[in-house]
Amino acid sequence: MSTAEFEDVMDLDIEGAEASTVHPVGPTEMAARDLSVWFGRRKVLEGVNIAFPKNTVTALIGPSGCGKSTFIRTLNRLHELIPGAALAGSVLYEGKDIYDAAVDPVQIRLQIGMVFQKPNPFPSMTIRGNVLAGLKLSGMKRENHDDIVEQTLTAAGLWNEVKDRLGTAAGDLSGGQQQRLVIARALAVQPHVLLMDEPCSALDPASTLKIEETIRELSKEVTIIIVTHNMQQAVRVSDYTAFFLAEEGTPGHVVEQGETTKIFGNPREQRTLDYVNGRFG
Amino acid sequence: MSTITFDPETLEKLQQQKPTRPWRKKPTRFTASVTLAVLVPALIVAALYLRSDIPGPILLVIIYLPLQLIASGIAAWATKGTRGISDSVIIVNSIGASLFSIVVLVSVIGSLIVRGLGALSPQFLFQNSVYISPSTPLDYGGIGHSVVGTLLIVFIASLISVPIGIATAVYITEVRGRAVPYVRFFVQAMSGVPSVVAGLFILTIVVATGAFNQSAFAGGLAYAILMLPTVARTAEEVLKLVPDDLRTGALALGSTRARTVLRVVIPAARTGIITAVILGVARVIGETAPLLLAAGNNDQTVVDPFGSPISSVPTFIFNNVALPYPDAVARAWGSALVLIILVAILFTLARVIGRGRVGR
Repeated sequence: MSTAEFEDVMDLDIEGAEASTVHPVGPTEMAARDLSVWFGRRKVLEGVNIAFPKNTVTALIGPSGCGKSTFIRTLNRLHELIPGAALAGSVLYEGKDIYDAAVDPVQIRLQIGMVFQKPNPFPSMTIRGNVLAGLKLSGMKRENHDDIVEQTLTAAGLWNEVKDRLGTAAGDLSGGQQQRLVIARALAVQPHVLLMDEPCSALDPASTLKIEETIRELSKEVTIIIVTHNMQQAVRVSDYTAFFLAEEGTPGHVVEQGETTKIFGNPREQRTLDYVNGRFG
Repeated sequence: MSTITFDPETLEKLQQQKPTRPWRKKPTRFTASVTLAVLVPALIVAALYLRSDIPGPILLVIIYLPLQLIASGIAAWATKGTRGISDSVIIVNSIGASLFSIVVLVSVIGSLIVRGLGALSPQFLFQNSVYISPSTPLDYGGIGHSVVGTLLIVFIASLISVPIGIATAVYITEVRGRAVPYVRFFVQAMSGVPSVVAGLFILTIVVATGAFNQSAFAGGLAYAILMLPTVARTAEEVLKLVPDDLRTGALALGSTRARTVLRVVIPAARTGIITAVILGVARVIGETAPLLLAAGNNDQTVVDPFGSPISSVPTFIFNNVALPYPDAVARAWGSALVLIILVAILFTLARVIGRGRVGR
């Protein structure tokens, strides 16, 4: 792809007259271009165009079943693991199509980390082992494992609770603690982009707040894309918001996207206004 | 942190509290009906057993079981109404069925102990049978050579079949290649191979061609054929139980599929995989026919897996149990007991190794 085409993609997030009122878009880290997704014959997403500027937080909101999770899984090539999965269009990471035949999905997933909705620590490993699991599994070399464990667990807001029992089984932690543990695990491999699929849906308010602080802190160095059903959370953590919707019988698509303050304060679409104010969905 | 303070009166009351389990309390009416339902049929059958000539087993099956069912049904109806009746039928039947299987198992082990214990002695466990004829008294000779043989053969069989079995299961559940239906079909078909056929196969392919003697190795090969399908199928079921979340979790960390399987999926299924190995060993350890053909027989203790024919506990039992000498038969029963003990030890060992907790 030429530079000119790439510039194109960077400006895709806003259409029409209001484009100029949106803040100048920084260098784009990731972008989806004309992305459509299928499971078997069923089209679940259509024509998604979003750009994710470097070191920002983008919230993906929308009612259940609108394809947010499916979309986020196309961004690190996890989508293709589902039998019957298919897609059209492209996903760009640092200007290159991650679905290019020459691209190794393992390398993509190493740089684009993910935190899932349900905590999934590895039961056969200790707390410490889980934090360092990414390094072992990907064969990545990093020095000072003790420091990595402390830093990432601190960033995930879990260090104080587990620092005295790093050698115990990860399965003994509570659900909320497990979720913060897998966030630490995702951070240990130093991803450039972090995908979070409703990371706080299993957490209590205090843990949620810690995670949100972590997200804000991380966004200085990492591009974060977060799916959330919590409108307040989207407002608190994100710079940009994209509103997904799958209207009756049609595939999901992006209804509106832009700066979070605008989506929540003064959206262009009536449907967006209704959704963010809890009138449907 | 604030501490909740109670006024002195409440505090005193609270300190006198004892832990109780209110959910265990049953109404008197319930306890009475259950006691009656248990006692009445038992007493009737006991009286019949003492006063009449009806044989015990017939009494149990034809009189006691229906009587117990009816009595429990009435008791359940009296306390819980009609919906209690179906409950009581299920409870009585399941207790009866489990008692039945326990009785069968205990009587097998009981008869082994009764007939086999007499033969057991340190010399029986550790000596071999050189210079021992079927008529030699029990005070001489032993089955140490057969125990060593069985252990060696099972070890060789496990060495071959466990890696292949797990690899097969990994192919089916993790690689999910195109040949999966065929592989599954062949594994299934293999589990139907009669043990004597496995022995014959090794006899013709390995022994008769002169590649190897009748030996622990040849016996191990025959056992491996029988173990493989059990290990593969059990491991497959166990790997299927590992949640997909763990696989995607590992892949999302930049793991290759091979590393995901080796470092996340198999460790997560560890206890189940040990069960697969145990079931595989249990499948073969008593098999006689393949060893008669592939491993042969020997009175001496053999530790060389390739060189010469080797004895094993099942073949020793086979060779002795039908002889017209009481001491030979006693040796056979003693060996059977030793085999059961051996299995128990192996399984306990496997469980202990498998339990190893994560962490310090």
